[in-house]
Amino acid sequence: MIPIRCISCGKAVSAYFDEYQNRTVEGEDPKAVLDDLGVTRYCCRRMLISHVETW
Amino acid sequence: MVPEGLEVREEEGSNMEIHVQKKNEIELVFTISGADMSFVNAIRRVCMMEVPKMAIDDVHIIKNDSAMFDEVLAHRLGLLPLVSDSESIDGMILPEECDCEEYCPKCSVSMVLKKEGPGVVYSKDLSSEDSRIKPVYDTIPLLKLKDDQEVELEATAQLGIGMEHAKWEPTTACAYKFYPQITIGEDCQSCQKCAEACPRGVLEFDKKSEKIKVVDELNCSMCKSCFRVCESRTIDIGFDDTKFIFTIETDGSTPPEEVLIKACDVLSEKADKIIDIL
Ligand SMILES: [Zn+2]
Ligand SMILES: [Zn+2]
Repeated sequence: MIPIRCISCGKAVSAYFDEYQNRTVEGEDPKAVLDDLGVTRYCCRRMLISHVETW
Repeated sequence: MVPEGLEVREEEGSNMEIHVQKKNEIELVFTISGADMSFVNAIRRVCMMEVPKMAIDDVHIIKNDSAMFDEVLAHRLGLLPLVSDSESIDGMILPEECDCEEYCPKCSVSMVLKKEGPGVVYSKDLSSEDSRIKPVYDTIPLLKLKDDQEVELEATAQLGIGMEHAKWEPTTACAYKFYPQITIGEDCQSCQKCAEACPRGVLEFDKKSEKIKVVDELNCSMCKSCFRVCESRTIDIGFDDTKFIFTIETDGSTPPEEVLIKACDVLSEKADKIIDIL
């Protein structure tokens, strides 16, 4: 499960997780999706980029 | 209220100027000039640490069949941003100021989560007894349930401040920086190397006047990339230590301008206390 907030700054990144996951699975560029969602700082971006959903 | 014999210097602070650069539901950017760093930092610290907001503080788990531990689930619930603007938390008081035994409607809001698997449980599944105080985002995944698994819990949200726990911090990014000063000397050869080197598009070559122009001063991170590539040493990056660019970004629970106003109230209350003691 994705952490609720960004570990560094506290932004609630988990709110964007489903949309990010669905859009990237469909082949959209992760960079474009993150820009579109308004996740601008690299601390928050790595939360979504590096997350692996295991169960 | 100023006690006798204590002189107030009018000129300090009175020439302070504030200009709002950007404002939306979660972010406020403004420049503040004629102030000193200790003052600006005091505002920043109060914004982060002493502006109250709502967060889940106590979770009573009745049933949890999921693979997630009770403690982890309770921690996730605590981190959920809850709507805490002035209108929603009107009449709500801090638990330490309340004279009740444990919980009462004046200091706490109860929430219930009851869900059966299979599926993902989201923040929207959390039902609050107060229709105003609810999670800011509906799409936050809390836990996953498999076939025939169930979760049932009761959570209590209370007001608190960031000094006690980060879940009560209304701000995410709350920071200031010196205002950049970019000076381009007379002997500039207009080689355009500085404009190419700038990673943030601060400088641009103006074709009409054939000179380098500063187009986006606010965006300058003072990295000095332009200074390093300039062969004629005419460009210089400095800063104004009485002018700041202040950014307040919130987690969505409270509008940023409200955080700033409340922070100023807390700060002036502290100042009043000092004057009262004198
Ligand atoms: Zn972050
Ligand atoms: Zn009470």
